[in-house]
Amino acid sequence: MGDRPVGFQNVWLLLSSAGALGTDRTIWRLAFRNVFRNFRRTAIVTAAIAVGVGGTLLTMALNFGLMVQMVDTAIATDLGHVQVHGAGFDRDPSLDVRMRAAERVGREVIGEAPGVRAWAPRIRSEALVFSPRASAGVTLIGVDPKREAEVSSIAASLTAGQYLGETKRRVLLGEKLARRLGVAVGGKLVVSAQDTSGDMTGEAFRVGGLFRTASTAVDEGVIYLWLHEASAMLGLDDEISEFALLASDRTVADPLRDALVAELGDGFEVRTWGELQPLLVYMIEMFESMGWIIYAVVFVAMTFGIANVLLMSVHERIREIGIVMAIGMRPSRVVAMVLAEGVMLSALGLAFGLLATAGLLWVFRDGIDLSVWEAGLSAYGIGNRIVPVVRPGDLMAPVVATILTAFAASLWPALRAARIAPADAVRRV
Amino acid sequence: MGLELRLAWRNVWRNPRRTGLTIAATVFAVFLVVFFVAMSAGVHEKMIEDSVRVHSGHLTVTGEGYLENKTLEYGMRWGDPLLEALESDPAVTGIAPRVTGFGLLSKTAKAQGVMVMGVDPAREGTVSTLPDRIQEGRFLTGETPRGIVLGSRLAKNLGALPGDELLLYSVAYSLEMAYELFTVVGVMRLPEPALDRRFAAIRLTDAQEFFVYGDLVTEVALLTSSAEAAAPLAQRLRDELPQPRARPLAVHTWNEVMPDLEQLLLLDDAQMYITLAILVIVVAFGILNTILMAVLERTRELGVMLALGFRPAAIFRLVYLESLMLAAVGLGIGLALAIPAVFWFEAHPIWIESEAMAGMVEMFGMEPVMTWKFKITNPIGSAATILGIASLAALYPAWKASRARPVDALRAI
Repeated sequence: MGDRPVGFQNVWLLLSSAGALGTDRTIWRLAFRNVFRNFRRTAIVTAAIAVGVGGTLLTMALNFGLMVQMVDTAIATDLGHVQVHGAGFDRDPSLDVRMRAAERVGREVIGEAPGVRAWAPRIRSEALVFSPRASAGVTLIGVDPKREAEVSSIAASLTAGQYLGETKRRVLLGEKLARRLGVAVGGKLVVSAQDTSGDMTGEAFRVGGLFRTASTAVDEGVIYLWLHEASAMLGLDDEISEFALLASDRTVADPLRDALVAELGDGFEVRTWGELQPLLVYMIEMFESMGWIIYAVVFVAMTFGIANVLLMSVHERIREIGIVMAIGMRPSRVVAMVLAEGVMLSALGLAFGLLATAGLLWVFRDGIDLSVWEAGLSAYGIGNRIVPVVRPGDLMAPVVATILTAFAASLWPALRAARIAPADAVRRV
Repeated sequence: MGLELRLAWRNVWRNPRRTGLTIAATVFAVFLVVFFVAMSAGVHEKMIEDSVRVHSGHLTVTGEGYLENKTLEYGMRWGDPLLEALESDPAVTGIAPRVTGFGLLSKTAKAQGVMVMGVDPAREGTVSTLPDRIQEGRFLTGETPRGIVLGSRLAKNLGALPGDELLLYSVAYSLEMAYELFTVVGVMRLPEPALDRRFAAIRLTDAQEFFVYGDLVTEVALLTSSAEAAAPLAQRLRDELPQPRARPLAVHTWNEVMPDLEQLLLLDDAQMYITLAILVIVVAFGILNTILMAVLERTRELGVMLALGFRPAAIFRLVYLESLMLAAVGLGIGLALAIPAVFWFEAHPIWIESEAMAGMVEMFGMEPVMTWKFKITNPIGSAATILGIASLAALYPAWKASRARPVDALRAI
């Protein structure tokens, strides 16, 4: 039974064994018995596959959970699913690009677009805010408090004071910014910005409330105030910078954008969250390709283990295989038998792996607390609690990979088994 | 002992195919562990170095309380006594005093909130790479007053070119309004987009004048040989620096100044180690299986050895040695392949071509380049892990082998 290079003969053997696998149930029954012939060995290799599949799946689920959370947090904090700006805002995100007749456009077009769950108008401007102690450069956002609360999570993120209400001249700012400015709720701030005619204006406000979001950028660099007060301060007349829209979920952002583009025509820029923050999309793509690398690495390692077990299994049955071949079993069916054994072994490991993953997902159903890494996470807009997310597609990957691994690993042992010469084999002890 | 070693070595090669497969799996795992740990070390070091050379330096000396509040109120006096004290420590390789404030920078009708950093043009280059990041025009010089250098995205948003005049508007230390016209002398590209959009540099003396700050600075950034050298140097400086009477000085290391960066690196490491742990466990099961099979098929032989007077402890050692040898051969080949690979990649870093990837990497404040870094702890740690896991995997087969009763074993086929 010398080794010969893989050649036409082997390809033929494999093709004909595929036929046997499809038609012959005896092959599968034989394979099943062989799998359990050495229980300990099967248990160990099954455990290896289970750890590989389960570990990889869980890692992927956590990664994806992290991504989902990052995107959802960004969307909820202030991104929205779709934003509408005046044409040219992408190039020049300043007060120079404004949308006129905001009231009417909002009510008649934005609010009526198909699939819109909530929308809010915003004025954005760069501003300087100073307290008796310090100053900071910030983005000033004028909002309609009622509408804003439906679109963004600022209202829900308040940790002190009150949301914007009846009281005039109130601003909301992040706790971090408040600490830097040395102000508390009720404290006085001067907000200074350049109005549309290019003059610096400054107006006094009191701190109405403090918030803490998952994003350091928002907590340190944004203040919220009433839309009409921002409008008056900046010298705007029914003009705004932005509409933020929420759809039913982020996958329907694209059709919503298309509908708005058709409705609004030129003079407006309509962009989805992915277009506004392409980095979020890149990040998801990168994590996905990273997941495939992890699969590849772990499954290659598993291939060695499975191949080894099958090789042993064939090796210790040389005599037996020799005898069945001597009494007329075709080499193609011997190949089929070993392949079936490999597939069963892997399927068993896969089943345990999936079971273990399901158990771990259940354990972590409320998320994994990562608050020790809060500063690192919030700098990139991720919350502290990561809930693992498994999509149906994620389950396909390990199934396909396991089957491929099983075949790759069984190939060599199977072909070796088929080349056993009956005459030599039966003479062995 | 010599006999046991020889026996173990022969037993390892009794079934060359099985041993070969197990060794191949070990080589694969060792290679990946060493390679990825080195990549992570390289990328992380690059991230730290890139960040410290934009922001903080390896160490930042500030007035106590500045780091928490970042306002002009917590300034510190900058003068010859402090400079001499810092220069006298040989580990300090760069010293850059700065005044960091916030302001609104406007050009005609456009305004942008910015972080204004007053830097000493002659000293800044010893700590940060700001002077090398100029894309257009030039960096600040000692001679020309009221020049300003802008981040490239800031310049784009303002529509400002070298030669343009900008109005900087802020609140001075005296809490009076401060206005001043500055002339753009250069545009620089900063790796971090968020910073690039909001960063402007002026001369230290202009900043002190603008903020009515006298001879105070907000921070002094220091550079030393490496990120690891920061902590001991910080400790030394805390003890040795002359403490002013008014407000004590605080010495911070890079990870205190940028806790988010340190935590990001830890999170990244955690993720990598989990993946590598899965890989190593899968390989460990392979070793376990091989050794267990090798023991089970030798039941009779081991029984004979026991009957001839081999002590169970000797059998245990024999099987243990086999497992360690198996792992050691894989380890040796794996290291022999991985270490040169790491050195090669260390000398040939890979620039990320994909725009999407590059953009993402830049968001974390790093240049889009993959680097590797060989640390001696890496192969030592990998070796300890593989040998440790092999000794764990050998436990059960070795125990099983040593426990066999000669009478039963001899009867087994």
